[in-house]
Amino acid sequence: MLGPNGSGKTTTLGMLMGVVNPTAGSFSWFGQPPTNVVRKKIGAVLEHPIFYPYLSGQKNLELMAMIKEAPVENISKVLALVELSTRKDDKYKTYSLGMKQRLAIASALLNDPIVLILDEPTNGLDPMGIAEIREIIKRIAADGKTIILASHLLDEVQKVCTHFAVLKRGNLMHIGPVDEVGKGEELVEVAAYHDDLGVILQEFAGSGVIKREEGHFQVMMKDGFHGQDLNRFLFDKGIVASHLITKKKTLEKQFLEILAEAHPTADRK
Amino acid sequence: MIHLLKIDLKKLTSYRTFWIICGMYFFTLVVGAASGMEFLKWLARIIDGFGQNININRIPLYHFPDIWQNLAWSCGLLKMGLAIMVVISITNEYTYRTIRQNIIDGMSREEFLLSKVYTNLVLAAASMLAVFLIAVVTGLIYSPELDFPYALTGIAFFPAYFLEVFAFLSFSLMIGIFIQRSGLTIIVLLFSYLIELIIKENIDNYLPGIIPFFPLESIMNLVPMPFARYAFQEIRDYITIGSVAIALAWTFIFNYLSYRKLKKSDI
Repeated sequence: MLGPNGSGKTTTLGMLMGVVNPTAGSFSWFGQPPTNVVRKKIGAVLEHPIFYPYLSGQKNLELMAMIKEAPVENISKVLALVELSTRKDDKYKTYSLGMKQRLAIASALLNDPIVLILDEPTNGLDPMGIAEIREIIKRIAADGKTIILASHLLDEVQKVCTHFAVLKRGNLMHIGPVDEVGKGEELVEVAAYHDDLGVILQEFAGSGVIKREEGHFQVMMKDGFHGQDLNRFLFDKGIVASHLITKKKTLEKQFLEILAEAHPTADRK
Repeated sequence: MIHLLKIDLKKLTSYRTFWIICGMYFFTLVVGAASGMEFLKWLARIIDGFGQNININRIPLYHFPDIWQNLAWSCGLLKMGLAIMVVISITNEYTYRTIRQNIIDGMSREEFLLSKVYTNLVLAAASMLAVFLIAVVTGLIYSPELDFPYALTGIAFFPAYFLEVFAFLSFSLMIGIFIQRSGLTIIVLLFSYLIELIIKENIDNYLPGIIPFFPLESIMNLVPMPFARYAFQEIRDYITIGSVAIALAWTFIFNYLSYRKLKKSDI
């Protein structure tokens, strides 16, 4: 789930988890009305980790296991998964931010949930912490669990997620598979030891807009043309490219486009 | 019920503040309740003529059946200590935002409130039990004779004391849920007595009939102050159905308002 700050990601998740009362509309979980019993089967961490600071990690999880009616044996399992076993008896308030985030993920996994909701799980972490959390998420996803991830880090979403939705001011702007992001227009970066390369590129039937950048050209491909077509064309002309990269559109670019397209009138949908 | 109570007690029993406040509360309750004779001796020392005009050893402070009402009323004064613990317990849930996580983890809002209400019941019951034990022990020590069933008249002041404590804890819980910050809640609790007192005094001349219906007044009215009887004044040494009904109604209203507030607000 993507969206700029204040677009309603956490509020949406809050409604799904029963802490924000919806003013209109309805939803269901697993085809059932959303009761607190259903919530016990979902593992969720919204915004930032929330625990009793005066309790140890272990005791916090024991308390959660009571609320979720989860087996107590799971506690040591999830603590091991997030590599917190050695610090489990220390008070939560002594944990570093990364450890707090990891404990939050452990707590979300406590009841072997069907769905996992993570809201910016790498927020505020250093590169190593981010890498650790991402590794944990991938491990969980490999177990076949559904993960709903709200994030700013588009690169992360592109790597981890299969589908994405874009919110803006509480409205759904786009929903679709991440795979489709790369489809459509292609951008080819090309360079060759040839003085008239720019002119020759314009002769290519598939060329759209051509931009000259430091040392190379950026060619926007027309529909149905790909990097390999351009390569063959140049080769036929007797030019050998020294540099040729096909650039697919990134999620980041698409994300910004979706937000830019969002016309003010669309907001009132 | 037991499950919800266990959840709330688990939050508290590892919390050092809980043990400090409860420790001080029960210490004061027990030692204070047992020190009435010392208090009378102290009065005799500082007030001229007190010890000469009235022989303090002839005041039946700890004699059955006077002792029931005497202790129930005196120990009722200490309930603010427990109330502060209740306020800290509920406002912590807001400051740490753990109430939000509890709901996310699968508690319903009703269950969350019930877990707090059950703890209030336990605290009130523990207070009643402590005072009852002190009453039995000191009564047996000081009473010149045991005359059953006369000795047991007024023992109903203990259930009334229980209701008094529980009603006040319900009130504190409600204020805590509405204000959500501990410091302000405690100040509001302290001032609510004064404010009610001022209002009561001001309408005393016009509408004295409605005074027993005030919330805090109804809580205090369950067990009336007994000591005036030692100055040969008439006191009410029994429990009235009306006072119990009003206090029960307020207890219900306090907890219902807590429920409404929790149900309607975003957490």
